[in-house]
Formats: sequence, C-alpha cells, structure tokens
Amino acid sequence: MHLTPEQFVDLAEGTTPESSTPHLASCEACRRQLADVRAMMTAAADVDVPEPSPLFWEHLSARVSEAVAAEPPQSGWNWWLRAAMPFALATAAALLIAFVMVGRLVAPAEQHAALPVASVAPPPAQKLPADTTLAADVTDPSLGLVADLTQDMGWDAAREAGLAPRGSADHAVTHLTEGELRQLRDLLQEEMTKSSD
Amino acid sequence: MASSLAWSLPRQWSGLLMTETDARPLARLDDAALVAECVAGTPGAFDLVVERYRRSVYQICYRFVGNHEDASDLSQEVFLRAFRGLKNFRGQAALSTWLYRIGVNVCLNRVSTKKALDSTTGEPIDAMDLVDARHDSPADRLMREERGAQVRAAIAQLPDKQRATLILRTYHEMSHQEIADALGSSVGAVKANFFHALANLKKILEGR
Repeated sequence: MHLTPEQFVDLAEGTTPESSTPHLASCEACRRQLADVRAMMTAAADVDVPEPSPLFWEHLSARVSEAVAAEPPQSGWNWWLRAAMPFALATAAALLIAFVMVGRLVAPAEQHAALPVASVAPPPAQKLPADTTLAADVTDPSLGLVADLTQDMGWDAAREAGLAPRGSADHAVTHLTEGELRQLRDLLQEEMTKSSD
Repeated sequence: MASSLAWSLPRQWSGLLMTETDARPLARLDDAALVAECVAGTPGAFDLVVERYRRSVYQICYRFVGNHEDASDLSQEVFLRAFRGLKNFRGQAALSTWLYRIGVNVCLNRVSTKKALDSTTGEPIDAMDLVDARHDSPADRLMREERGAQVRAAIAQLPDKQRATLILRTYHEMSHQEIADALGSSVGAVKANFFHALANLKKILEGR
C-alpha cells in the first residue's frame, strides 16, 4: 500500500525520518513522488515577494489610519452609557420622589375626610408648646374647626392622623409604602456610595 | 489631577488627560496587551498593530493576487476588518494567525471575483515604481522575475484551500495546526491540501 498524502508531507518536511517508513525502500513510485514533493516545496519557497519601497510602509500605515479614523466609534454606546449612568440614576430618583408626592397630592380627599379625627386622643407626653396654637392665623371657618379639634394634639399624633401638610417632604416620606421606602433607601444609598468614592 | 480623575472616566476621556509620565510605552507591550489597548481605545495602539504586521499581511496579499496595487488595497482591507473585529478577538489564536486568517478570507473573496493570473504580466507602471529592485543586476532580475512569475501564476491556478495552505505553510512558516485554525479545518486536511497543492503545482509548471 502506497504512502498517504500526510505521510508524504511529514517525510518531505523531515517530521518523520525515512528510516521509519520501510515501504519507501521497496516502492519506486512513492520515492519518485516524495522527490517531486520536495522539489515543488523548494520551487515555491524560492519565489520572493518583491520588496516595496521603504516609503510604501508608511504610506500603507497612513491609509489604514485614515480608513480607521473614518470608522464610527467602536464602543460608542458603552462609554456614553457609562458616562450618563450617574445622571440617569439621579433623574430616576427625583422622578420616583416626584411621582410619589404627586400620587399623594391627587389621592381622593375622602381618604383624609374619613379619618377618625374625634377619636384621636392627644398623647400626654408630647404637647405642643403653648404659644404654637394651630388656630392662631386661621380665618377659614372649616380650618378653624380642624384647628380646634387638633389644638391639644402633639406632632406624633398629628402625623399618625395624616395631618402632616400634603406636598411636604415629611408627608411624602411618611406616607410611602414599604416597597417605595425600600426603593428610595436603595437609590439614596447608591448615590451616597458613589459620592463618597 | 489627571490620574485622580482618570479612574472614573471612560478610557477615551482619560486618554485626553494623560500626561507624558502617565503614557504607557505601547511599543513594549506584547500582542495581547496591545489588543487590549486597542479595544480600550488607546490612541496609537492600532497603529502599532499595523506597524508590526503590515509586512506579513502585505506579503500574504501579494502572494494571492500577484501584484503590488491589489496587494496594497487588500492589506488596507485586512487591517480595516481587523479593527472592526478586534473587540471580538478573544486571543485563542495568536494575533498573527488571526490577521492571516482575515487576510486569507479577504484575498479569497477578491480572487474569486478577479483573476489573479492576469496580474503576472500586467503589473501597472506606478505600482512597479514602488518595488525596490535596485540591488539586482538586470539579468538576474529578469531571470528571477521570469521564474517567480511562472511559479506565482501556477500557484494562482490552485484551488482556494490548496493555495491558501501552500502560501501560509511555505511563506509564513505557520504550523499545520495554525493553518488548520486559520482555515477552519483539521491538521489532516491541511496536510492533504498541502500535498495536493504541491502535486498540482508540478503539473501546472510542466504543462507550460
């Protein structure tokens, strides 16, 4: 059986010694074929690529450089996103707070009207200072009624009764749900971590 | 100041803040580190890749198409494609092997649409001006060119895979395994292609 193409290549390149292929000694056709392979390897190797002028290499580099410069930025989205991320997070936090506050402002008035105002008992420990009467500057009669009812109420009791001024940060924060609070806490923590870095 | 700000900025921006003392000597980086700098957008990094491999890429292209003008255009195309694909280069193969693979693909695409054989006798005058043959005597040059043209023409007639294998093995000293990686085939197939390329080369040259 004659040698395979792989065997010819290994023999021609010297990877395999001829002594390890006994078939060669007895096969004239394979010996001739091996000689042809070696001759063609030499003929091909003798062909040089004409060396371009030394100026050519700089010319080629300049052409490539121009072509590359004309390409759109490789990872434009990535670095724009990285740069914009802090602003995006801050905006998201502000929007979340605004959303929560607006939600509370437009909540049905009945929610507050139905509050059991009469049953709110003023806690004995935290009384308002004597000169801080809620009715002091009230001219609206309905507000006057509320002022009368809450005259002896402390700050904590007023908060529990939902009387923190709507639209205030105090009101917004004290009326957040558990989920909203967790989300706000995470966002604030993230921002504070970044600014402390 | 530059170094204190640079950490938080994208690499493209931090490059603008780099001082002379901050600048890393790109020329000392190995290929893998240089590729990383290219991907990070470091100015000058890709220029250095071109500088390192322009000669071998040009030679591959020349051996495929047989003339300076096309080889020059193809070399540019190879580097442009390499630039576009750098972010996907994972370093499984050597940078040179990866570039040669691109080179072979670019050349095969071009050769399939244009007969390279014609170029052996019809080299443009302006391209010949760029070839440096000042050290040969006219007779030597003529004989060398004659023989070289015959063999190049014969190589140009080989089937694509055989030609690519012959070029990468003979002129770029790539191992059979590297050629297999570059061409997406097996070592056995590469050896078989090489053998048949040489056998066909003989037939073509004898038929002239």
